[in-house]
Amino acid sequence: MIRRVTVQQHPPQAFFVRGPSPFARLIFFSALSIVLMAVDSRLHYLNEVRQGFATLLYPLELVASAPVRIYRHVNSYFVDQKTLTQENARLTTFAMNQALDLQRLTNTEAENAHLRSLFEARQKLKPSTELAEILHTGRDPFVHKVEVNIGTQQGVAPGQAVVDGFGVIGQVTRVYPFTSEVTLITDKSLVIPVQVARNGLRAIAFGHGRDNTLYVPYLPTSVDIKEGDKLMTSGIDNTYPEGLTVAVVTRIERDPNSPFAHIICTPAAGTDRRRQVLIITGSLITPPSPITKKASHAPRQ
Amino acid sequence: MRPGSSLEIYGSLLLGLLLYLLPWAGVGLTFRPDFVLLVLLYWLIRAPYSCNVGMAWMMGIVIDLADGSLFGQHALAYIVAAFLALMYQRRVTLFNRLQQAGFVFALLIIAQIVLLIVKLFGGDQPSAWTYFLPSVTGIMLWQLVIYSKIKVSGDENRG
Repeated sequence: MIRRVTVQQHPPQAFFVRGPSPFARLIFFSALSIVLMAVDSRLHYLNEVRQGFATLLYPLELVASAPVRIYRHVNSYFVDQKTLTQENARLTTFAMNQALDLQRLTNTEAENAHLRSLFEARQKLKPSTELAEILHTGRDPFVHKVEVNIGTQQGVAPGQAVVDGFGVIGQVTRVYPFTSEVTLITDKSLVIPVQVARNGLRAIAFGHGRDNTLYVPYLPTSVDIKEGDKLMTSGIDNTYPEGLTVAVVTRIERDPNSPFAHIICTPAAGTDRRRQVLIITGSLITPPSPITKKASHAPRQ
Repeated sequence: MRPGSSLEIYGSLLLGLLLYLLPWAGVGLTFRPDFVLLVLLYWLIRAPYSCNVGMAWMMGIVIDLADGSLFGQHALAYIVAAFLALMYQRRVTLFNRLQQAGFVFALLIIAQIVLLIVKLFGGDQPSAWTYFLPSVTGIMLWQLVIYSKIKVSGDENRG
């Protein structure tokens, strides 16, 4: 009561009118931020809102990346002939080798189709791909993500696999109308089912999040893996096509005190040096999952 | 002291955003200062009447959009820094340059700590110490800008 009386006697008058006090604003906007964070992380209501506003921001990003693009463009004019000849020679050899492989491939494919028809198995479709260019790496140096220049307009959807000429790069995790976000296999949040090429042993590779490596946990110390072993996608996840190279085992530590081997691998694809990548946009035909359909189609994160 | 027109404020914020959006990569990304927060703090200290916590929040949301990160995490970090800047604004204008730099550095670190806490709650693992490098480069950039004749405090000979 007493307090109210004093307030009436001396009405508070700000010398400058500043609207609500900074503290009131802080409380209001903090509450708003926390609500937004909760809604975004738990309820996923904001994806459309994010897509809309990100499209508005796209021209700005184009402007910001213009200097780099101009630099690359100008730079490509001043390549000396020697570099070009060398590159040409290298590419020709590469193409020759691939042509050889390709000849065998048609043969093998025909044989495979025949065998599959004998087994009455479903035909596997050749996945359709879309070439994308990396716009920039993620804004956060501790998250292994890249932004590429195609989006929902070109048929990209979350969960699709991203590869380059040497192996798997990662997975599309978020799409905008004109761009999409690719999480690299070296990111902490990405997990990929693999198979050792030498003996067909199945395992799961986790992104390490540091040093551009992956690790394979939960394998016993006595496991049959050697340094230099190739890890391929096993294709049992309905996300990655079967038989793509993922990583090469670079280090194995078998600690007798630990029940599990400590296996470190390096990605086969140039996750940190490519500028062009392929996004596998076509759906893969796979046998029906024994588990419920909904769970198997959710993107792995 | 001339409070700075809204054109200057929004122009510089846009410039800060463009600098942020540059395709940084590798070492550059590790060292990249938080341009937008620096510009915000500059205007909050110099012109607290035309720049407030709400503007910091808006810029934070824009950064979250550009970042593809969780909605509202940069916004929260920015408004905490903006609130502290506003709370001590009158004192800061009386500080000398070194004290001002120390104050701004503390704010940059606080914003990063808030961001780190939010990220930890979001399930991220703690980052390496290099996480705080942007604050160091940020304060160096701040010093560079302040020494190049743009003054925050009004007690010197520029109007």
